[in-house]
Amino acid sequence: MVPLVYFQLLSAALFVIGLYGVLARRSAVLIVMSIELMLNAVNINLIAAAAHLGYRSVGEVFVHFDGQIIAIFIITVAAAEVGLALAIILRMYRNRATVNVDEIDLMRW
Amino acid sequence: MTWAWLIPVLSFAAAPLIVVAGRWLPGKGAFLAIFAIAAGFGIFWLALFGFMGATTATEGCAKVVSAETGAESGPLTCQYEKTWFNAGLPGSEGSVELTWGILIDPVTVVMLGLVTFVALMVQIYSIGYMRGDPRFGWYFAVHALFAASMLTLILADNFLLLYVSWELVGACSYLLIGFWHERPAAREAAKKAFVVTRIGDVGMLVGILLIWREVGSFEMSAAFEAVRSGAMGEGVTTAAALLLFLGAMGKSAQFPFHVWLPDAMEGPTPVSALIHAATMVVAGVYLVARAYPIFEASGTALLVVAIIGLVTALMSSTIALVSTDLKRILAYSTISHLGLMMLSLGAFGYTAAIFHLLAHGFAKALLFLGAGSVLHSTEEQDIRNMGGLRKVMPLTALVFSVGALSLGGIPILSGFWSKDEILLAVSHNRMPVFIALALFTAFLSALYMARAMFVPFFGTLRREQEHVHDAPATMAVPMFLLAILAVGFGFLAINWPGEYIGFGGFVFDHKPHGFEFEIWLGALSILLAVGAFLLAYLFYFRRAFSLDGIRNSLSGLVRVVENKYYFDEVYQWTIDRVVLEFSNFIGLFDRIVVNDVAVNGPANTVRRLGIAMRVHVTGHVYSYAMGMVVGTVAVALFWWLISA
Repeated sequence: MVPLVYFQLLSAALFVIGLYGVLARRSAVLIVMSIELMLNAVNINLIAAAAHLGYRSVGEVFVHFDGQIIAIFIITVAAAEVGLALAIILRMYRNRATVNVDEIDLMRW
Repeated sequence: MTWAWLIPVLSFAAAPLIVVAGRWLPGKGAFLAIFAIAAGFGIFWLALFGFMGATTATEGCAKVVSAETGAESGPLTCQYEKTWFNAGLPGSEGSVELTWGILIDPVTVVMLGLVTFVALMVQIYSIGYMRGDPRFGWYFAVHALFAASMLTLILADNFLLLYVSWELVGACSYLLIGFWHERPAAREAAKKAFVVTRIGDVGMLVGILLIWREVGSFEMSAAFEAVRSGAMGEGVTTAAALLLFLGAMGKSAQFPFHVWLPDAMEGPTPVSALIHAATMVVAGVYLVARAYPIFEASGTALLVVAIIGLVTALMSSTIALVSTDLKRILAYSTISHLGLMMLSLGAFGYTAAIFHLLAHGFAKALLFLGAGSVLHSTEEQDIRNMGGLRKVMPLTALVFSVGALSLGGIPILSGFWSKDEILLAVSHNRMPVFIALALFTAFLSALYMARAMFVPFFGTLRREQEHVHDAPATMAVPMFLLAILAVGFGFLAINWPGEYIGFGGFVFDHKPHGFEFEIWLGALSILLAVGAFLLAYLFYFRRAFSLDGIRNSLSGLVRVVENKYYFDEVYQWTIDRVVLEFSNFIGLFDRIVVNDVAVNGPANTVRRLGIAMRVHVTGHVYSYAMGMVVGTVAVALFWWLISA
């Protein structure tokens, strides 16, 4: 069995890559993709932890579903969020002919 | 007599009616004002006869009852009042019930007669004088309001109502002096009259409030009772009397507040007649007479009244002597006679002052209406450009001469009797220097009246004035009626044998107060008056002597007098150098301290703080994201450090 820490390292690596994408990318679409990456990093972390804890507590039987449930919630929310974010980006593109977040700074002082 | 309140109310009602409905009425509604004041004059007779029939048994009437002896003294005083409004909760501590009411005593009655009669005459005269004026209706509306305010002032039984009507009189005089407000001089004169009298009014208001603090009531009877019983201290009484006198000085154009009255000539001439004879300026003399118990209780106050009166009379009669504007001569003559009235009041000559007030009122109204008739026909005010007008306006010349002779103190005309009474009071109750200067003033007043009579009406007629016309009937009739009074009114002073007790007795108390006449004083005053007229006759009619010699030898003095003792210049300097400088300083203080620091200061601070703090709102998504990351890391580190 693969030790838990490998999953956690993978999750952390994915999360940091996503964070880098959010901070460094200029394109709004790529930022949304990076956010998805971060969310999935969290999902991996949750499911790995849940599987790990489930084995430990009651032998061969899964009894702890908390991690999986939260992961499903996150996937659902992420789907909704992507739908919303893409709609916003689409409108933004229609209005300003760009998705470059550097140029979209209407809400400044 | 209880109906006397209707006298002012009728005129008060006429004023708004003329303003609102006047344009649709025949004659622009002027007849409404005249009817109102004529009805007032009718009611005056009812009040007079009612008052003469009244005794202490009549409802509301009483005499002053001495606390020790129980004896009644002084004139009969009738008072009728109603609640005006309550200040504070009724019945609770500190609540004040204010009343408005009328007080009728002999002075009130005679003043009612003077004001209603002169106002009626002036309004009838104004129909002719103001004919064709674009604001004909407005003129009569303000006229009615003016008369109504003055009548309220006369009837008021408490200081508060008196003060209200006092200010109304001031406001109406402002409107009438500035009636031709298209002319800058009229606007300036109106403002000057209003502001100068206001200075005195402030003192008067303080005096009234001082009395209220001491007595707890605005009612005059309560104040007089407090003075009589000694409840009001000596010092407070003097202060109250002097403060009230300050108001009287402003309204009655006493030195040093006399400067507004000559300028008030910018108004229509009938207005001057009204202001000088019946309404505005006599209010001050009336106030002192009305509050006489307060003045009487303070020797200092009476002395101040006498000195101010004497200085005013002397100063203005000299100016009248060198003035060349007909209306201004009359204006300075008014100031001088008001000074004589004040002098008389200050010398315990209460009845003499009231009597002179009436005699002067009739004569001065007559003179102003006569002067108005001259100005109306010739469009000329400078007496040096007039002469021989009696040939073209015989009627005006006749009535003007009657007025001038009466005011100059020629025997058997009314001015002679009243002036004699004043001189008598002064010689009995004041130091010799007062009577000497008063006699000199009487001489001067006869001299300038003679000058005002001889120069325009006698001598050679000027070519450009050959075709001027005499006064029309509406202007002539009032002048005639006033002339009759200017001649015959003085006989009322004498207590004829039989029923009639004489004017003095009527005004002072109901006991015969004999008309006194001292041979030496009477002879001296006749000598001075006749001498003055003879002198003027030689100077100005026969031209027996040239005045140039006198003028040259006294050139310095004449220049000072011709410049009105430089009073206007001193006031102008004070306003420019003191008042305006101080105002500038206050304005600077307001702009810098109040406006910039106190009001704009906090606002600017908040604004600068906002500018400093808004720089983080860049509008860039990544900077917000960076903030979130840094914040999260910081929180995590914080928790880690705490838990460690």
